Amino acid sequence: MELKVSMHDDVTVAAVEGRIDGTTARDFEEQVVAAVPEGGGPLVCDLASVSYISSAGLRAILVVAKRFKTDENFFSVCGHSGPVAEVFRISGFEKIIPMHSSRDDALAEAKG
Amino acid sequence: MLTLAEEILLLVLDDESGKFIHVPEHSFRYALSGAVLMDLAFLGKIDADPDTLFVIDSKPTNDEILDTLLKPLSESNEQRDCSYWVQYFGRDAFKIQNLALQRLCDSGILTREDKLILWMFKSRRYPIRDGFAEKEVKQRIMTLLFNEDIPDPRDIAIVGLADACRLFERIFSRPEYEKVKDRIAEIGKLELISQSLSKVVREIEFQLAQATAIGPM
Repeated sequence: MELKVSMHDDVTVAAVEGRIDGTTARDFEEQVVAAVPEGGGPLVCDLASVSYISSAGLRAILVVAKRFKTDENFFSVCGHSGPVAEVFRISGFEKIIPMHSSRDDALAEAKG
Repeated sequence: MLTLAEEILLLVLDDESGKFIHVPEHSFRYALSGAVLMDLAFLGKIDADPDTLFVIDSKPTNDEILDTLLKPLSESNEQRDCSYWVQYFGRDAFKIQNLALQRLCDSGILTREDKLILWMFKSRRYPIRDGFAEKEVKQRIMTLLFNEDIPDPRDIAIVGLADACRLFERIFSRPEYEKVKDRIAEIGKLELISQSLSKVVREIEFQLAQATAIGPM
């Protein structure tokens, strides 16, 4: 699992590559939280290049989303497709966490 | 911290009498096996996807309850999903229950009382000696159900376990339950093991209902 961080105005985009599972979930949590500048700010987590997500990966995303919500910072997931999108769908994540099909849509909401 | 098996046991004990409230036996068995599987997942020992539950760290936890399931999981070469393992370990639920009850007694949360009824039948109850742990769990779950916070993984597990045992239908009045039932379902779905537990229990309830409707041949 690798994370590429970029800034789009004041929004941090964390583009994840690889698998988010029991062996990488802890790294994912730590790296996503560390990606945001000190003092906080909105974050978009782009999963377009994630090939697999397990139960541990779902938990990691929930933990990060909860942390951002508690700190009153915007958090959104975008770009997920194929089997990863299917796991999100059957777990009903879209009812709990803002999710967008594209990075542009997520950025528009984060900036709005 | 209590294990999930201990937490679900506290939730099914009646505060006043110390007796288990009536919960369908199959639901309770699978809730206990699901509880241990979720604890193993939270410890990073196992992981799951919709098709398979797999071991990622077979090193024993040195917790008798957890290792009772981790060992056979580690030794299995079978690729099975969460539903299979929830049912498989549901057969050993009595052992999980006894170990968890003993631990709650050892830690001073419960005390055990045996009484003889009609000088023959032994009735066992577990009055709550220290109700803090139980009240804390109940309070946390109630708050979660009536707001829109993102639940943490442990609370998702407890909601899923309690729902599998249909505890919320006992705790809430009918109008209250109607208000929170969608939220309960929404939370339970977030964890794949919890989702499988719910599926297993509902399938059995469906089969039982069908058998009752058809009646004896």
